[in-house]
Amino acid sequence: MDGGDEGVVVAPMGDESMCSNGGAVADPRRPPASSGKAAAGGGEQMDLEAYVALYAGRTRVSRLLFIAERCGNEGMQLEALRMAHDEIKKREDSHLYREVIAKIGGRLGPQYALDQTWVDMVDRRAEVRKEKLENELNAYKTNLIKESIRMGYNDLADFFYAHGQLGDAFKNYVRTRDYCTSSKHISQMCLNVILVSIELGQYMHVSNYVSKAEQAPEQLDPITHSKLRCAAGLAYLETKKYKLAARKFLETGPELGNNYTDVIAQQDVATYGGLCALASFDRTELKNKVIDNINFRNFLELVPEVRELINDFYASRYASCLEYLENLKPNLLLDIHLHDHVETLYTDIRHKAIIQYTHPFISVDLLTMAGAFKTSVAGLEKELEALITEDKIQARIDSHNKILYARHADQRNTTFQRVLQTGVEFERDARAMLLRANLIKQESILRAARKL
Amino acid sequence: MESVEAVVAHIQGLSGSQEEVAHLHSLLKQSEDALRSQAARLGAFLHQLDPSVHSLGYLFLLEAYSSDPVCREQDGDFLLSILEFINSCSAEQIRLAPEKFISVCKSFKDKVMQLQVPIQGIVPLRTAIRKLQASSEQLTTLHSDYLLLCLLAKCYKAGLSILDDDIFEVDQPRDLFLYCYYGGMVNIGLKRYRKAWECLHNVITAPMATLNAIAVEAYKKYILVSIILNGQVPSFPKYTSSTAQRNLKSHTQPYIDLANCYATGTFSELEGCIQTNLEKFQADSNLGLVKQVLSSLYKGNIQRLTQTYLTLSLQDIANAAQLKTPREAEMHVLQMIQDGEIFATINQKDGMVSFHEDPEQYKTCGMIEHIDSSIQRLMALSKKLGSLDEHMSCDPAYLTRIGKERPRFDFDEFDSVPHKFL
Amino acid sequence: MDLSPIQNAVASGSYATIADACDELMLQVASRGIAYQEDWPFTVHLLGHIFANDLNSARFLWKSIPQGFKESNPELVAAWRIGQCLWTRDYAGVYDAIRGFEWSPEVAGLVTAFSENYTKKMFQLLSSAYSTIGVADVAHFLGMSEDEATNYASQHGWTLDSSSKMLTVKKPKTITEQKLDPSKLQRLTEYVFHLEH
Repeated sequence: MDGGDEGVVVAPMGDESMCSNGGAVADPRRPPASSGKAAAGGGEQMDLEAYVALYAGRTRVSRLLFIAERCGNEGMQLEALRMAHDEIKKREDSHLYREVIAKIGGRLGPQYALDQTWVDMVDRRAEVRKEKLENELNAYKTNLIKESIRMGYNDLADFFYAHGQLGDAFKNYVRTRDYCTSSKHISQMCLNVILVSIELGQYMHVSNYVSKAEQAPEQLDPITHSKLRCAAGLAYLETKKYKLAARKFLETGPELGNNYTDVIAQQDVATYGGLCALASFDRTELKNKVIDNINFRNFLELVPEVRELINDFYASRYASCLEYLENLKPNLLLDIHLHDHVETLYTDIRHKAIIQYTHPFISVDLLTMAGAFKTSVAGLEKELEALITEDKIQARIDSHNKILYARHADQRNTTFQRVLQTGVEFERDARAMLLRANLIKQESILRAARKL
Repeated sequence: MESVEAVVAHIQGLSGSQEEVAHLHSLLKQSEDALRSQAARLGAFLHQLDPSVHSLGYLFLLEAYSSDPVCREQDGDFLLSILEFINSCSAEQIRLAPEKFISVCKSFKDKVMQLQVPIQGIVPLRTAIRKLQASSEQLTTLHSDYLLLCLLAKCYKAGLSILDDDIFEVDQPRDLFLYCYYGGMVNIGLKRYRKAWECLHNVITAPMATLNAIAVEAYKKYILVSIILNGQVPSFPKYTSSTAQRNLKSHTQPYIDLANCYATGTFSELEGCIQTNLEKFQADSNLGLVKQVLSSLYKGNIQRLTQTYLTLSLQDIANAAQLKTPREAEMHVLQMIQDGEIFATINQKDGMVSFHEDPEQYKTCGMIEHIDSSIQRLMALSKKLGSLDEHMSCDPAYLTRIGKERPRFDFDEFDSVPHKFL
Repeated sequence: MDLSPIQNAVASGSYATIADACDELMLQVASRGIAYQEDWPFTVHLLGHIFANDLNSARFLWKSIPQGFKESNPELVAAWRIGQCLWTRDYAGVYDAIRGFEWSPEVAGLVTAFSENYTKKMFQLLSSAYSTIGVADVAHFLGMSEDEATNYASQHGWTLDSSSKMLTVKKPKTITEQKLDPSKLQRLTEYVFHLEH
């Protein structure tokens, strides 16, 4: 089968599989296992049109290119590249254009071959525009009008950003800082720097500028506030501080709406926040900060699967929860921010679930439990073994009868054991210390003798 | 300058009361050069003295005599006469001139080593140590010589007679380094790894201004013994000298690598690491210990399973411990049961092993005896610590010192630890 | 050289004391510079260590014996063969090593005593380490034929499932002393006193 065939397969699927990022699902409360044929398709491919529609600006292209690189399916790859190409053609980044053309490599027919005329036109126009902006800026600088200089730098930075020269964009946005005269300017500057830094993958800058913006003396408007929460959440996510990331996403206000789509969609807030919270929160926190959080509920409504899996987790319906997770996984792995963290988060969530599952029992039948966790008994044994070794579960496995027994350590015996151990250590340390004391004493005597 | 005859006469006349002996001691010190210059003649005079009565005088003569290389070479009875002296001399008298006594014993040791009969020196040195010591807590220079002879003669068990004493008083830091190093080797040879660990630990944590070869060799063995005992190498305690902390690791790289490999828990990797450094381990004569490390990996893996499982099939144990067959796993488990390292029963019918908790209930008389004796020992120790603490806080030299250079001096450690327990 | 302490120990059957007696006597004799090796009862000495289950000392003793001496003394080599099997945990090999040599009258008693002891210890080990075990393995570990092993085991209350040739182990009851004498209470008072002061 060649790529062309697969490409054909992709298209008609679109309508059905858009749910993963917020499309309508017939009955989200129904566990996906029972829904059989349709909606929350894990194995099915994501609807790129619907996906891209959630975003604006350069991130559309970045996301499409990321998907093209990761999806491992030529049909989808070409579709993503085609859309990325069309998106780029609307813009002015000739460098990115060449890159995509190279990636397509002629596989999409003559329509998607290198359009040199367009490139030349864009480059020429850019040259002229750049010159004009620089001249203007120089003029403002001689006149020493602060606001104009700021605008000049800002325009120049916007220009660089649009043309994909991110480093220069970053520099010029930062330069506007000295010419900011209101806190609105400051927060604008910060948001610009954050935008570029996220695309550059410089999350240190992201968190720096988030805190700079938050230090503003005046109250930030709710939209900016929510944007900064998201940016901070992304920065924490990137540095694997999932608990902090979860908090930031959970604090994001509904005002975010579609105002930050050049960085993040509301659906992402729900997914990132929900998964990070599941992986890092305890039960109470999960209840108070996620399930009972009215603000966040609005986000969750956009991604019913995540809402459902959180509820399942809290209600100990692990099989259903894990199935939702499994179904989400292929798409999450194609997410430009989450992909690296999917495995870790999933492992953490799974461990949490296993620990919670075993907690109330004196003995657990491994067969039943394996069923609940969609795994084999042997696989479950390995997982339990690791958790027991890390002392996260206090239990022992009866591998013969396939039962897990809770272990209630005999306090009297452990105390005796500990006491004797402490005694041995004290004896050893005290002896060694007396010895060293005498050595030091002897040495100082010798030294004193030498001095005399 | 007095003649030897006169000295002998003094000795014969002044070996009675304490005052006499003290007087004799000062006379002898004045005649030291005279004795040394006539060393060759002294052999004959020794026969005129009774080593048990004239111990101090006899010692001076014997020391002068034995430090002369010619006498040592030519006298066929050289070793026997020293042996006789060590056996019969009066401890009280020879302790007046310990350096002379040590010198005589060292000549004796050198001679047996030169003749390659180390076993001949074991009993005499053991006697000598006991006579020289004012208390069993005192470390003498002879301790390490004794242990060296035990090692060379392969009479490791003989070494235990002094290793089981608690040593607190040390005159020469160098004595301690050698004593603990050899002590570590004796204990390793007898597979008393915990004791060996303590000995080696004392070497590497002893105060040292410059790095010495003993500490480096001790650290190598320390790494290996630590792995065998606990599966890992502890970091340096804070009282370790900065010299040791800074330098020991860089001198023992193959061993550090080995410890890192061990931590991965993979048998093949550990084996590979051993192969790479085989020559170095061999050159350090640590290959035997290294092999013990290898087999302790199996044990460690099995021991971990006992923490996790109540029952586990032999096949699974074989897989987890990287053993080839269930039968091999069974034999390892059996060995560990035999050595008391795990508590388990093998069920051959089902090919299963059940792991048990430590059956010790801390109720038996034996256990109570054990706890009781531990408490007694600890009480004695803390009394000792208490009195040391008191003694130090009254010591004018110490007080002026901490007054002047508190931050530099590491007496501080005594404040923190004992008070926690006292 | 007076070897009577060793000879007495062997003759009176107090085998557990042989090793220490030999060790000490050897050191004493050696200290006097006597060339003891020619007449030294190395085989008894070695077996003494083996009897006391002190394999480390046995191994060091073996290493210290001059090569020529080993070559001219097959009984010594045979004794070390037992030690080697113990060292490598070749449980059944121990019996082969014992049976594979015609021991001289001087050591025969010692070897027999060791052998009986060893069988007892192995049986104890099996009792504590197994809940069920195949007849063939019991025979292997105890150095007996399968019939003898079955007999030996059933005398100790083990039961045989003849279809699978599996023995079910009967655990021996251990009796432990749990009584305390009043002096312990006195001690306890002292401890509390110590802690409070």
